[in-house]
Amino acid sequence: MTHRLIAVAGVAVALLAGGCATNGSTDGTAGGGETIAVNEAIRQSLPASVRDRGALRFATDPSYAPMESYAADGRTIIGFDADLAAALGSVMGIQIEMVRADFSAALDDTRSGEFDGVMSAMTDTVEREKKADFINYFSAGTSIVVRRGNPSGVTELKDLCGQVVAVENSTVQEDLLKRSQRGCGKKPIVIRSFKTNADALLQVRTGRAVAILNDFPPAAELTTEPATRAHYQLASTVQYEPGLYGIAVAKNNVQLRDALHKALDELMRTGVYKELLLRWGLTTGALEASSINGAGVSPDAGQ
Amino acid sequence: MRLRIWAGEGGSAGSRLFAAYAVASLVTVGILGGVLTQGYRDEAADRGRDHGSAQAAVIEEMAVAPALDGADLTAGLTDQQRERLQTATDLAIFRGSVVRLRVRNFAGRVVFADDGSTVGGVSVSDPSFRTAVAGRSDVKVVAEESRPSGQVIRVVQPIIIGASGQSVGVLELYLPNEAIAAHLRQQMRQAYLRLGTGLVLLYVVLALISWSTTRSMRRNAARHRHEALHDGLTGLPNRAAFRARTQTELDAVDRGGSGGAVVLADLNRFKEVNDTLGHHAGDELLQIVADRLAGSVRSGDTVARLGGDEFGLIMPGATDDEVVSLLTRIRDAVTQEVTLDGVPLSIEASFGVALYPAHGTGIEELLQHADAAMYHGKRGTADIVLYSGHSALQATSWLAVQAELRHSLERDELELLYQPKIRLSDGLVAGVEALVRWRHPERGLIPPSEFLPAAEQSGLIEPLTAWVLRRALADQAAWMAQGRSWPVSINISARNLESPGFPEYVAALLAETGAAPALVTLEITETAVAGDAEAAIAAVHALAALGIGVAVDDFGIGFTSLSQLRGLPVSEIKIDRTFIGGMPHDHQDRAIVRSVIELGHALGVRVTAEGVETVRVRRWLLEAGCDDVQGFLFSQPAPWPILVDRYAAHDVPLLALTSQQEYR
Repeated sequence: MTHRLIAVAGVAVALLAGGCATNGSTDGTAGGGETIAVNEAIRQSLPASVRDRGALRFATDPSYAPMESYAADGRTIIGFDADLAAALGSVMGIQIEMVRADFSAALDDTRSGEFDGVMSAMTDTVEREKKADFINYFSAGTSIVVRRGNPSGVTELKDLCGQVVAVENSTVQEDLLKRSQRGCGKKPIVIRSFKTNADALLQVRTGRAVAILNDFPPAAELTTEPATRAHYQLASTVQYEPGLYGIAVAKNNVQLRDALHKALDELMRTGVYKELLLRWGLTTGALEASSINGAGVSPDAGQ
Repeated sequence: MRLRIWAGEGGSAGSRLFAAYAVASLVTVGILGGVLTQGYRDEAADRGRDHGSAQAAVIEEMAVAPALDGADLTAGLTDQQRERLQTATDLAIFRGSVVRLRVRNFAGRVVFADDGSTVGGVSVSDPSFRTAVAGRSDVKVVAEESRPSGQVIRVVQPIIIGASGQSVGVLELYLPNEAIAAHLRQQMRQAYLRLGTGLVLLYVVLALISWSTTRSMRRNAARHRHEALHDGLTGLPNRAAFRARTQTELDAVDRGGSGGAVVLADLNRFKEVNDTLGHHAGDELLQIVADRLAGSVRSGDTVARLGGDEFGLIMPGATDDEVVSLLTRIRDAVTQEVTLDGVPLSIEASFGVALYPAHGTGIEELLQHADAAMYHGKRGTADIVLYSGHSALQATSWLAVQAELRHSLERDELELLYQPKIRLSDGLVAGVEALVRWRHPERGLIPPSEFLPAAEQSGLIEPLTAWVLRRALADQAAWMAQGRSWPVSINISARNLESPGFPEYVAALLAETGAAPALVTLEITETAVAGDAEAAIAAVHALAALGIGVAVDDFGIGFTSLSQLRGLPVSEIKIDRTFIGGMPHDHQDRAIVRSVIELGHALGVRVTAEGVETVRVRRWLLEAGCDDVQGFLFSQPAPWPILVDRYAAHDVPLLALTSQQEYR
């Protein structure tokens, strides 16, 4: 009883702090984690090694604003994922460090133990669930981004047949493109995959590719941000194959997975989650409740 | 000469003003130049920074970052990365487009340098380095002795590799500043040239302005000086200038210069011109007189208008004779008839002369004396009067005379003398004329000519005439008691006639003394009843109605025509002594006297000749039919008892007396 009162009080403080941060700056990096009360029960549920270290290392590819990207200093990683990770760390009473990594290698590196998890706008898929467990925290579909003016007249996936399309390595978008080849017949899509999403974007900017496939949130940001909207636009408003983002943890780390799940539930319950979505303009992708390995559960799962 | 002096003064004032302008504008232009120069320097520095920052961004993005793709600078460079970096930067370094280049990790270690060294560069704690670590570019223009311009542009900025914007280290870049410095020098040269040209032009303008300002100020000052020393109406020097000029002359005398004359002149009856023709006519007259005065003096003389109708002249070096002859000429010029508003006017002017240093060495003294002389002239008949101590004493003691005269009546210092009037037909005394004398306790016997004008001026004439009338009637009663029935003649002034109630006063006095009106004659001057003196004429009528005789005294010199006497109850005319005195040698005087006698007789009045001093004149008058004579030939004025002794009682025409008494 007493604990709950304290927790409620802590949430109230967090909301206040979040509100303030929203008004003040969108470049905030900590996500107001400092004011979120530690849930001792969740903390205790963490693996002892993690509690002892007091920190987790999550792999991320910071080329996917607003989910994760570099701040102006070129070193700090900011974005919704960074803020949510910090908030989760606060609930669990530990630090969660976002570490730059190659997206394609992140899952394997997590399995090998180099990272404690992946938090990089990674869509939970049945395929990926074979490598890791996913704590689902967001929902988004895929958009086609083309050069402004859409010189190649792309409006749907089949228009990409016979064209060069850039994509980040090992993403659901790469998988989607490969699956779309079936409908192209003799004019297949020329799929170029790159290490980071930024590298793929560069291809479109320089005309070496006619389109890039992105999740809707970063695609929307690209086409509205003053620095980039002169170069990019959405081919259509359609989002293909909506799916769930998930924090990936090693299959053998169930304790950490469950602790993260509980911590996320708490953030959703206390409204911190909603608050962070608002901060980054991502409320359309909000989940009502978190789940674990939800790819197979969702009817459209599998990107 | 005068112009040159003024030009000299103006020149120095002009250069002073120009110097003030020049200094003030030099300071202003100096400040302006400082601000401009600083602005150019700031702009050059800004330009250097912008240039450096833009160039560094290009170098970083096009050469450094691509070469370092995937590098981890904390661990240093791989051979491949080093080689790529060298390939990318070698030419720029070799050709001098980049002066120096260092790649450093966040700990400050130099992982790559243009010269292969691994040390040097800005300190890790330097704000510039901290700025770059924080992800921002820092640009400064710093001193570099080895460079021709002595300066170099230093850029310290983050190295961002890849499209995601990851910063991996710090790039320290030194870029040449020569082009910008040269541009700055060029700009400064231009600025200095423009400022210099502007300053020269400004000075030219300022010189013109100061020249024109001083010129107008000089003109203004000259005008003010002229206005201060000249009379606005006539353009002549004014009183102040006259005094200054007089002082100059007196100073010259002190230094051994010759003396001269100060002359005061004023117009007689100027006020009448003003009153009757108006002020504009008066002003015109003054201008004419001023022109005439200025036109007739010598070249070294000064003519000034002292105020009103008063003018002053300074005649340096003139002796008394010269002054009189000069003034005579001047007076002749001034008094020529003028026509104002179609009215011909004769001008009269009085001149009073004081000689310096003979009559004084101070301005006030000289002016007083000249004034006294002029006043004396106005009183008398002379219009050019040289100051003499005696007349001036009287003039200056004019007020004292009036005061003393007032006392004289109380102290009984006046006395009456009588001069007999002899009837030519039988040589008997036809009457006596009462003449007043003032026996002054200190100055002795004073003739009436010296105190009657003062009495006229002050209004003392009324009590004086009253005294004379009363005394004469008393004396007459006394000689009548001794058997002499001589009629008595008493002089009265115009002022007496004009004063209201005078006839009534005389009537009362006659009644009081019991004197017979037929034996009393009042002598008036012809000017007293000339013209439109209505009050005086009325008084004459009133007096004649009392039975008193009225005689016109000094007849002939007042320029009255006989026609003006027509209608007046005059019983006697007394021909002025000037005509009588001229008779022996002037046939015109004889003609005048003869015709006056004839006219008098024709009008039914007796004619008396005054100033008869020779037997010849007496005889001539007898032949001309003159009734009575008066003069030294017969008797000087004397107290009546002496006359009673001198003329026997039998001379008295008793018949006449009785008949007059009966007549009364």
